[in-house]
Amino acid sequence: MSEPGPLRTVLVSAVRHAAGYAELLSAHPGYALAGVAESDDAGADAWSDARALAAARSVPLWRLDDLSPDRADVAVICSEPTRHAVLAERMLGLGLHVLVDKPLATDVPSARSVVQAARAAGRHCAVVTRALAPPVRRLRAWVDAGRLGLPRSVDAEFLSSGTHFAASVERPELLTDPRLSGGGEMMNVLGYPVDDIRAITGCEPVDVFAEAGTLFWDEHRSYGVEDVAVVSARFTHGLAVSIVVGRVPVAPGPGPGTYTLRVIGSHGHAEVDAGAPAVHLYSAAGAEPIPIDRPPVAAVLDDLQASIRTGRRPSYDCADAAIAVATIDAAYRSLASGAPVPVDTGPGTEPVANVSPRSREDGPS
Amino acid sequence: MSGPDPGPAGIAVLGSGGIARAHVAALSRVPGVRVTHVLGSDPARAAEVAALAPGCRPATSLDDVLADPGTHGVYVCGRTEDHPGRTLAAVAAGKHVVVEKPPARDVADFDAMVRAAKSAGVRLMVGQTVRFQPAVATLEAASRSGRVGDPRLLHLNWYVGHVWPGAWRSWQLDPRQSGGHLVHNGMHPLDLAIWLLRARPVRVFTRGWCTHAPDMPTPDSFHLTVRFADGGLAMIEVSYGLRDPGDVLRRMVLCGTEGTLGHHTSDDAAPSDGGPPVPLASVGDAVQRQAEHAAAVVSGRAEPLIELRHSRWALAAAIAAQRSLDTGRPVDVPDGPDGGGVGDE
Repeated sequence: MSEPGPLRTVLVSAVRHAAGYAELLSAHPGYALAGVAESDDAGADAWSDARALAAARSVPLWRLDDLSPDRADVAVICSEPTRHAVLAERMLGLGLHVLVDKPLATDVPSARSVVQAARAAGRHCAVVTRALAPPVRRLRAWVDAGRLGLPRSVDAEFLSSGTHFAASVERPELLTDPRLSGGGEMMNVLGYPVDDIRAITGCEPVDVFAEAGTLFWDEHRSYGVEDVAVVSARFTHGLAVSIVVGRVPVAPGPGPGTYTLRVIGSHGHAEVDAGAPAVHLYSAAGAEPIPIDRPPVAAVLDDLQASIRTGRRPSYDCADAAIAVATIDAAYRSLASGAPVPVDTGPGTEPVANVSPRSREDGPS
Repeated sequence: MSGPDPGPAGIAVLGSGGIARAHVAALSRVPGVRVTHVLGSDPARAAEVAALAPGCRPATSLDDVLADPGTHGVYVCGRTEDHPGRTLAAVAAGKHVVVEKPPARDVADFDAMVRAAKSAGVRLMVGQTVRFQPAVATLEAASRSGRVGDPRLLHLNWYVGHVWPGAWRSWQLDPRQSGGHLVHNGMHPLDLAIWLLRARPVRVFTRGWCTHAPDMPTPDSFHLTVRFADGGLAMIEVSYGLRDPGDVLRRMVLCGTEGTLGHHTSDDAAPSDGGPPVPLASVGDAVQRQAEHAAAVVSGRAEPLIELRHSRWALAAAIAAQRSLDTGRPVDVPDGPDGGGVGDE
């Protein structure tokens, strides 16, 4: 019996993080970059990005109508966030498996629609998360082993460094113009800690109170979106969750950002730095950490590949991502109302993934 | 205090509990300070604490302590509910006052204390020991010197083991006596946030939880969001829920417009011999430093480090945070009737 070949993968849109995904896909033995595609109604900038990436990677540039399972097995959605859901649905409808950059969608109905589309198509729809990354898995393993007892609180801090704004974001408006981003920094990154807290504790978000501000950046101020937020949430079983997210001038650590988690349980506590452990390089330019773990997206690619090969549901799929979207939505509704608001997880978005199982379903046929 | 040689500063400690004991020991080590009395309802315990300072006398009568002309200032310790009355009595007797946090269970009482002190021409300071911790003082000084520009965002995590004595008899567990955990201990991080962000809190939202015992009458842990008058933000998380009583985890991240300051108690070195936790260098000898400052304040050699308006803001925010905990809603922090000027200096 011969080994299956690498999964033929198309980058759908090249607006956001596409170069990074292309690099990761090329380095992964389970994937082969087959092409870059963009939709007919995309703007000139989007087509320019797609054309440039296709040329740089020496792969074909396609219209979405050109795509089919004959040409690709997997579509990776790299558009601006407000197009994530519609492009994901379209690819699922064509019969492709899908990986979506975060957030899955910028509103709850769109997120649920993607989940329904994935189930109807019988195709996998994974979403970028850090919940599968080794530091989070290690923390979860300690919790699962009972080392902390029952988790009672989790605190998370996800801060991006503005000094890396130009290097880590293709165009600032992709994060700040709501027509492209869907919101500010909460929309951009709040889903990460929500994913991870669900994964670590097995608890689901119940209600949220958020305070936010535009404390640092004119780019955010010009579009009226937040660059920083402090979020208080209650999860099931009374789990108290505090989260700080944002883009500050300098994050409290080396590199483009820092991410730390603290869990207090009934019988112990633990703190994890998602960038650690690392080997530290000291040079005339300063200190630079070299993490021992592969990038978080590599774990997502591993998991999606295994899911496609075995037929099992991804460990984190669109139903989980819809919970993150619902939590982000609640945070924005809290900002608008000035009060804590319930997280509307809805009747139809039961998370089925291994991240935080309530129930299990069989994988797609 | 005037004249070329005022002699030793006489300071009485009103209280004989654990905090009072620490203050007596610290004050006894300050050159130029004489601890005159330890006031306690239990004569034996008062005598035991008084024995920590040479020449110090135990007392059970506040009037006797305040009548001593050799007592120039008092440390008001003990139960929160007793703080205003003892402070007003000391002020009326012409004594300078350092009052433990929280200075009162409501802002009106604190305002009365401030007015009385001003009227009497004596100094009043709330003892926010945290400000004297080396890591805190270093971080604040670096911020104040402009190293991170304008400080805008604070994230503070502060975890310790269970420290309240008396088990279910602990007065700290009784919100009627303590004012609630947010008032009793929330003042520490709120004062710190005010000091670091240099602004007045205007809205707070609190969640509390019980880590070990679900029937605790006040949660041993809480977090609160704080919005400040200038738009600055803070997330403060406090837990008394670590497994080991002597354990400490404190993390401070202060983000400014030009940089970020951070400190974590994991930086502190400690032996791994299985023995009890050693004192952390970053927390250090804060009680001793506060005692030295208090002595300087009482003897007229220094202005109080802790501004009364900051203490008023912290108390008002703590009371609002307690109300938020009780109601599950965000609570606006009321400004003073005169724009907060009661606490201004």
